[in-house]
Amino acid sequence: MGEVRNDINTSDINWDEMSDDQLEVMERKIASKYMKIFPLGIIIWGFANTFIWLSLWPLVLINILPLWIAFPIAVLNVCLAYLPSHDAQHSIIARKGHKLRWLNELLGHVSLIPFVAPFRYLRYTHFEHHNNANDPELDPDFDVHAKNRAEFFKKIILRKQPGQGAQKDRYIDALIRTNKTHVMKEAIIMRVAYMLILYVLAWSGYALEAALLWWVPMQVANIYIPYYLSWKPHHPGTEMGRYKDTNAFKSLLGNIGSSGMQYHVIHHLYPRIPLMHTPAAFRELRPILIRKGCDLRGL
Amino acid sequence: MIGKVIGLVFSPIIFSIAFIAPLIAQSLTALNISFTDVPNILIGLVIGGCLGLMAHFRGSWIWVK
Repeated sequence: MGEVRNDINTSDINWDEMSDDQLEVMERKIASKYMKIFPLGIIIWGFANTFIWLSLWPLVLINILPLWIAFPIAVLNVCLAYLPSHDAQHSIIARKGHKLRWLNELLGHVSLIPFVAPFRYLRYTHFEHHNNANDPELDPDFDVHAKNRAEFFKKIILRKQPGQGAQKDRYIDALIRTNKTHVMKEAIIMRVAYMLILYVLAWSGYALEAALLWWVPMQVANIYIPYYLSWKPHHPGTEMGRYKDTNAFKSLLGNIGSSGMQYHVIHHLYPRIPLMHTPAAFRELRPILIRKGCDLRGL
Repeated sequence: MIGKVIGLVFSPIIFSIAFIAPLIAQSLTALNISFTDVPNILIGLVIGGCLGLMAHFRGSWIWVK
């Protein structure tokens, strides 16, 4: 799954005695170590997850797998669909010009099939989020911010109602700003296809299957993913700046249950560190992050 | 024209007729619930249609605004 070459022995370092410049050098050295790891895990995750979800359909429709068993699997599949594409959005698998670039892009597109989201649309808007995290004018995800968990859930449900297009407008604004409006066509096509597939399935006698294998899991994922990927790591979202815009946090659901987002601070500092290695990178960088004033919330 | 068609696909009324109505109907059938002389799909269309109209005019599927 990619090995870490431990040329740097951080256990013997007296972090308090290091100057800011020395800390900077050490920080980059540690981060660089993790950025070189080939993310085999996320590649397997992305393709396997989509394969499993697609397999649920024939298994349910020909009565091999009961719908009540397939439903929770489908919920997991859709909730897990975003993060492999997230690594691909940041070209973690392979940068432009690399011989495996095709794998990076393929993973990005394929992993998002259950989540019905267009890869390039998410990529360009996500870059704007990184460039403007917590900026009330420019951060496409700013509308996710809420003063507490209850308000988050209320806002996210209200955003799903007809005519509530605030977040969509922010995403469109981001694409206009960055001259990437051409990717909106993909978003529209995907979403229209999704709705039409639901309608056809429903009127073909498969409304329950469509609802429990896709529509309901989508509703769950569209709460779970913004909660852990957008709201929680940036809450309260009042500060901007490299070491201030993202926090670490301890989740009741643990690292796996929170999709690794306890360590999202590492991702914002070094977006090219693979998701599955952010916990290890966090543990090594922790003394430096404390010196830099990051809010680690006791993690 | 294309914009209008796309808007229609996503409209609450179309969603309620095209998805919610058959979903209600098939849920009733799966639960062995039926009413004499009234097909489940008709019940689904009535309930789904009302929900869709409500969502269309209120701007919300739920009571919270």
